[in-house]
Amino acid sequence: MELLITSLIAAIISIPYSLIIPGIERKIQARIQQRIGPPILTPGFWAVLKFYYKKDVEPIAFLSRFYKSLIWLGIFIVLFLLFFSMPSWWNILGWASILGLVGLLKLEESLYVFMGAQSQSFLSTTMPVPDLAKGAKGIGIHREFLEQHSAERAIKMMAVGSLPLYIALLVPFAIAKSAMISEVVRVQNPGFFSLAFSLPSNPILFTVPGFLATIVYFIGYVILLNEKPFSILKAKIDVIEGGVLEYAAKLRAGYYIMRNLLLFVLSSIFVTLFLGIPFDPLKPFYLIFNIILSLIMPIALSILVAFSPILTFRQIYPSAVGLSVLGALALIISILGV
Amino acid sequence: MMERKVVEKEISIGPVHPALIEPYRIRLFVNDEIVEDCEININMAYRGIERLLEGLPVEKALLITERVCGICSNVHTWNSVRVVEAGLRIEVPDRANYIRVLINEIQRIASHLIFFGHAFEVLGHETFAMRSFLLREVFMDLMAYIGGNRVMPAVPVIGGIRPRADLTDSLKRVISERINDFEKKYREYVERILADSMIMSRLTGVGLLSKEDAIKYHATGPNGRASGWNYDIRTLMHEYEPFDFEVIVLNEGDNKARVVQRALEVFECLKIIRQILKNLPEGPIVNRDWIPGKMNYTISYFEAFRGELMHSCALDSQGLIRGYKIRTPTPTNLAAMERACVGDHITDAILTIASCDPCLTCCTRVEVINFDESKTMTVMDIMKKYGRR
Repeated sequence: MELLITSLIAAIISIPYSLIIPGIERKIQARIQQRIGPPILTPGFWAVLKFYYKKDVEPIAFLSRFYKSLIWLGIFIVLFLLFFSMPSWWNILGWASILGLVGLLKLEESLYVFMGAQSQSFLSTTMPVPDLAKGAKGIGIHREFLEQHSAERAIKMMAVGSLPLYIALLVPFAIAKSAMISEVVRVQNPGFFSLAFSLPSNPILFTVPGFLATIVYFIGYVILLNEKPFSILKAKIDVIEGGVLEYAAKLRAGYYIMRNLLLFVLSSIFVTLFLGIPFDPLKPFYLIFNIILSLIMPIALSILVAFSPILTFRQIYPSAVGLSVLGALALIISILGV
Repeated sequence: MMERKVVEKEISIGPVHPALIEPYRIRLFVNDEIVEDCEININMAYRGIERLLEGLPVEKALLITERVCGICSNVHTWNSVRVVEAGLRIEVPDRANYIRVLINEIQRIASHLIFFGHAFEVLGHETFAMRSFLLREVFMDLMAYIGGNRVMPAVPVIGGIRPRADLTDSLKRVISERINDFEKKYREYVERILADSMIMSRLTGVGLLSKEDAIKYHATGPNGRASGWNYDIRTLMHEYEPFDFEVIVLNEGDNKARVVQRALEVFECLKIIRQILKNLPEGPIVNRDWIPGKMNYTISYFEAFRGELMHSCALDSQGLIRGYKIRTPTPTNLAAMERACVGDHITDAILTIASCDPCLTCCTRVEVINFDESKTMTVMDIMKKYGRR
């Protein structure tokens, strides 16, 4: 029963809260660009509400029902990511572990592959006549939907791009010498298990491997959210929005909820793993601290986005390799216990 | 027989696409992410300006040429005026020529800044794009002060300039103050771009166009000059003779060179503007001593902001326009853009096209596909002849 109540509270708190974050993000970017920017609630909260009440448009997809269900599946995956990091779930079948987190994150990443493979937007439909302009260089060549190309990019990002994030995620577990989140919190904040509130005595963030892993985690966070400079799978200049292009009305609202929730949840997990302050609906002080500190990553993200161009795979591959090496270094240091 | 490259698939971008500021279509033939071939299809927005000009009185017609393009409106007015002035041998006062050059260089800077805005938007760097539009405001205001309109200043008229556009001392002072302030901010802006390693990694070595290719495909204007081809019609124009300026020529031929070339060209424009403000001669601004009459087919070439611009027409005995033809810089640059894309990633290819600063709606002219029957084929005709895909 406690599990159900805490999960419900977590969902009720996290979804509306996550809808404020994009507004903060956009406001910071606008200020950097010497613009006023939109009101804080507009890009997240009002946008979702607006799309929710729009007339439903059936997406054009190979398997329409499957394509539509991916959004709701995505929201559930992200919610469960948050649940697994919550103390009330720490004793359930070992899901609240590195394996649970990585498994769900991989599922989340693979959603973009499915979405891209399914979507068939109007923007890439074949013309009804052969292309005869300039002697038709490519008559008969398979024409790919922009979203399908985005799906191919999503596979590459799954294989290479997100590797640094997983390496960084391993570091706190290596320091705690356990695969369980509860042990990671115990190493940093033993008082959590006995007191109503205690600040972490030994946060991993302030150790050498923890600091290195934080940098890698942050970049991994950007990659997983498909934000600039790693937004190649939704690069506006070619594949536009990628696989989510066909989502409209309620589905678009759902996509925004999923994306904003991921923005918050990954940040909340960072606070849990690297600062030892978990998202616990039964302990209000920890909850508030976790929520406030969770703003660090989105704020840093918005600054990075404002100053970054989109990178192509020419830059993404070396960046991912470099970050993975840095992450591996942090992991080795943490294992050796230096 | 030409060897056909084996390509995996085609990615077709446009004509309806949020990244395209105009309706055109880019067909990229790719293997994985690498572009093996590129085809740019234009002619999606035909406006019939040449047809519109046919039979109009010459003074009225030349105002319409300004509507060819919103970014380089002045070059079209000025070049159309030059055609008639050359054909009817009309002398233009020096003061008018100076002011024509002034408005042209002001608009050249505004055009280059809009280029930065678009290029950085394509690059995904919103901050630099926004900054560029902010810097451009100075020149939009100056155009409004001089010509009375931010976009269509309509300064040149046959024989000189409109009286409205004559420069007063206070206006000269305002221009001088504004460009001094702009130069300071612009220098910082350019230095920041060049110091940004992420931007440079996207631009350097991408979209290569050799000097040979630039000449072969006739990449005029900044695109040719960024590939080492020293070709600037301003050096041949008598209006530019009094001014000391350098033609910026870079040899790299990549996207970075095309950005840097334009960035440096802006400083040369400022140099010309300063010389105009300093040495503006006194005297009349328009020569009214001419009458419209028969004029043989005359051609005028002009260095527009994007490359070589050609206007040509004839006048009948009543001074009405006959056979007006315009060739904007983009048609000559199109083939070069297609060439420059090859070998790069898809995302880079779009950037390469943007770095060549295309203006496709301006270059769109009527297209007669079936020459034998002298008619334009409809979609139904094409489907009937070639079948449905």
